[in-house]
Amino acid sequence: MTANTPAMTPHESHDAHVPAYPFKPLGFRGSGVWVRFWFLVLFAMLCVGAVSGLYVLQNGLSVTNLTDELPWGLWITVDLSSIALGAGAFSLSAAVYLMGLKQYEAIARAAVLVGLLGYTSAMLALFIDIGRPDRFYHPVLYWNVHSVLWEITMCVLLYSTVLVTELVPIIIESTKLNNVAFLRKLAHTLHSFMPYVAFLGVCLSLLHQSSLGATYGILTARPIWYSPSAPVLFILSAATAGASLTMLATLVSGRLLNRQMVPSKVMNGVARFIGYACLAYLYLKMWSWLATNYYSHVPEQQLGAEILAENTPYNFTFWFGEVLFGAFVPMILLLWPRTRANRNILILASVMIIAGLVINRWNMTLSGFVIPMDWSPGVKEVLSVNRYQPALVEWGVSIGIVGYSWTAFTLGVRYLNIYPDWRPRRKGDEAEV
Amino acid sequence: MNNKPGMSDIQDALTPKEPESAPESRTELLSRREFVTLMIGAGASMVLAATLAEPLNTFAKDILQNRTTHADEGDARHHWGMVIDLSKCIGCDYCVFACQATNDTADEMRWNIRISDETPLGDTFFVTRPCLHCKHAPCVQVCPVGATYSRADGLVVMDYAKCIGCRYCQTACPYGARQFNWRERTDVNTHTPDFGTPEVPRRPRGVVEKCTFCIHRIDAGLANGLMPGVDPEATPACVNICPVTARHFGNLNDPTSSVAKIISAQPTLRLREDLGTDPSVYYIPPKGII
Repeated sequence: MTANTPAMTPHESHDAHVPAYPFKPLGFRGSGVWVRFWFLVLFAMLCVGAVSGLYVLQNGLSVTNLTDELPWGLWITVDLSSIALGAGAFSLSAAVYLMGLKQYEAIARAAVLVGLLGYTSAMLALFIDIGRPDRFYHPVLYWNVHSVLWEITMCVLLYSTVLVTELVPIIIESTKLNNVAFLRKLAHTLHSFMPYVAFLGVCLSLLHQSSLGATYGILTARPIWYSPSAPVLFILSAATAGASLTMLATLVSGRLLNRQMVPSKVMNGVARFIGYACLAYLYLKMWSWLATNYYSHVPEQQLGAEILAENTPYNFTFWFGEVLFGAFVPMILLLWPRTRANRNILILASVMIIAGLVINRWNMTLSGFVIPMDWSPGVKEVLSVNRYQPALVEWGVSIGIVGYSWTAFTLGVRYLNIYPDWRPRRKGDEAEV
Repeated sequence: MNNKPGMSDIQDALTPKEPESAPESRTELLSRREFVTLMIGAGASMVLAATLAEPLNTFAKDILQNRTTHADEGDARHHWGMVIDLSKCIGCDYCVFACQATNDTADEMRWNIRISDETPLGDTFFVTRPCLHCKHAPCVQVCPVGATYSRADGLVVMDYAKCIGCRYCQTACPYGARQFNWRERTDVNTHTPDFGTPEVPRRPRGVVEKCTFCIHRIDAGLANGLMPGVDPEATPACVNICPVTARHFGNLNDPTSSVAKIISAQPTLRLREDLGTDPSVYYIPPKGII
């Protein structure tokens, strides 16, 4: 491989809009044994996912452990988590293109890639989860504008288009496509539209990220769900965890490739943003809990909480998974300058936030279903508490979806210019402010 | 990678790089000009919003009405409803089985179910529950494709050809009245021919279904000059079969119908009225409850 080319230097590639190719993709030659092992893992995950997915499509949803009383489970958790974890794209794009914080473009491209992978993962999960995958396009043809789920579907579709629009110039710039004059011009035009595209993206994200919480929050018949705070909690946790996943992916790929992917100052700024986002999330979460569980008494709510406490690890996972280790501890780690300066701690904090988010989405989905509906005298004697353990095939599909996003991100890091401001790793990078 | 760095990594590490350029930073969040522009923009938006609010609101209401209510289906002079007399019900399950035979439903996805409870004095009574055909049906509001909708005559209907099987309606229905076709049906209907014969085809795998108030009988009956609730051919199977006439069916809009007379003559209750779903099924409570 030849030495560094001028096109690889920072800023030239994206600011000056000169033909940037040949951007030198990393490729896989000369990679260590760990990369080969990593690809073996990814390949295995994709195989498991493909087999499970085909099995479900062939045999229908009867092979899952879902029931009429508990019709949503692991796949909906995967779907909700993927969309939330893709939210870094909207917050970081907003920082770059709307608030003019240009230095964050160093990480915004990675956020766009992570975002698109999150949204496509969610669509994969939903494709398998609906009873009639052959009718996946129906929400586009048959509108019910009163349905919060229709609004989500349309926003997810439109926002995925926004993400593709943001990614296309990066793909053109990073590949031989850049040698085609027309495509180079297209990339340039798209790039100049970025502020408007980013604005559209922010609007769409603000709509559907919160509407996903409203999916549960509007259901009057389920007291444990019915809550005006659910939509806001969803968007706050999504902004937090989405930026965390982008940060984690950046730090881990930098570690594996011996590079500093984004300047320390940028990383520090992102980490501080996540810390404050954790604070906002915790504030509303605690008030939401206090208002419904402590300062007021709603009998159905009370009964639901008791049923959850008796039959599920809900209380433990809520207080330790979501609140303490999912938000409070990482908030301290990210807001205290001394811990924030250490990249290992940033990795730890983002893993905690991401785990907390997935636990939250699982708890949100399951809690409402576990408590049986009480619509008439006698129902309580007949309907039992609903229990759910995902079937093996549900795990298989989920593993495949995660494998898809990891594979695509690995290829993206290897072949696309998503970290334009990288530099080789130096001693002491881990503790650099 | 640490133990065996690749060639490209070594070369990258050895290649001198340009120093990181200083990031563009802004000392203040907004300049005076930007602030003024922002304020003018915000003011103009408010004026625009105030001007457009009323026409947009009317427009949105029209859309909502059209998407969830199919005014061209059913006759608005009718509002089909049911009265179930719990003081008469003996818990024989005939209505459950007749429904299963007529609508060809499997045992684990009954549209009409029966449960038991006790009065405070210890007397057993029975509650049967079809779909309640709510006026403000949560299932209709949440369906992303409008596969379930309200007709002008109050029936909440499924369009099996539209349903994508997302199961949000099951999540939203407060009464657990919706069943999903988890598998392709291959079972034998054990309630036929004793309790009737199937009058509608089986639903395909992957769609949600629910009680229809035997809509096929209502529509065909009206077309032939029959009155649902009066003529058995036009009346739901569960109502016809009841050996103690605990179930009554008819047009709630017509004060002379049997259901309207019963409701005006005695206290009735509806399930979870607090939710505001406005069900079309009324219950006469068992003795010892009121």
